[in-house]
Amino acid sequence: MLRYESLFITVPEITSDEAGSLEKTLSKAVTESKGSIISFERWGKYQLAYPIRRNDYGVYYLMRFEVGDDRKDEVLAELKKLYGVKYGELIMRSVVKSLPAKHSLEYKRPESLEEAPSKDIDTIMKESKNILRRDRGGDMFQDDNLD
Amino acid sequence: MRISSKTLQKKKRRRSGFQGKKHCRFCANDANASSLDYKNSYLLRSFITERGKILASRISGNCAGHQRQLASEIKNSRIMALLPYTAQ
Repeated sequence: MLRYESLFITVPEITSDEAGSLEKTLSKAVTESKGSIISFERWGKYQLAYPIRRNDYGVYYLMRFEVGDDRKDEVLAELKKLYGVKYGELIMRSVVKSLPAKHSLEYKRPESLEEAPSKDIDTIMKESKNILRRDRGGDMFQDDNLD
Repeated sequence: MRISSKTLQKKKRRRSGFQGKKHCRFCANDANASSLDYKNSYLLRSFITERGKILASRISGNCAGHQRQLASEIKNSRIMALLPYTAQ
């Protein structure tokens, strides 16, 4: 059996119904070819490093699956179709990578916006004051140079 | 040719300021090597500049093999919008 993982970004406005049907269809595509799903995780909402299709945010999903050596091409072609055609409007970007056989399934990922602790108003005010002070200091320094 | 004492002192200072040989962070620690992955953008961020360029191994101290692996992981991470191609 070969192990694969697929990471994909969906539009930020994805509903739970759409996400549910997406998970069902993808797992069906794998199980129909005698493969099995190892895990299907929702990472959460993230700010993208650059806008994709004019979206600044996206929701990441990671799916890991196993498939036999003889059926792998079939599964990968089916996934490509689903990502590109059927869910082309929902899924903004996707990647499928093979996992080494003896590789552990543990991995590290960045913190999503939902997991990050929300700032209270006092810390936001303090930060903005610090930025203002720094900017003023910079101006004074420039004035000194001119003199 | 005469060399003034000042230039000799300067040369000495330069030599004393020279740092020892840098070591590859991934060769030194197996945990670091296994966490070298396109999903781990937090680790990869320490190997790119503010502009988003990949740091040279001469600066980061990585060995050639790990530098190649790191570069491809950074590029994969950029495709998935976890890292920027360039500063905005």
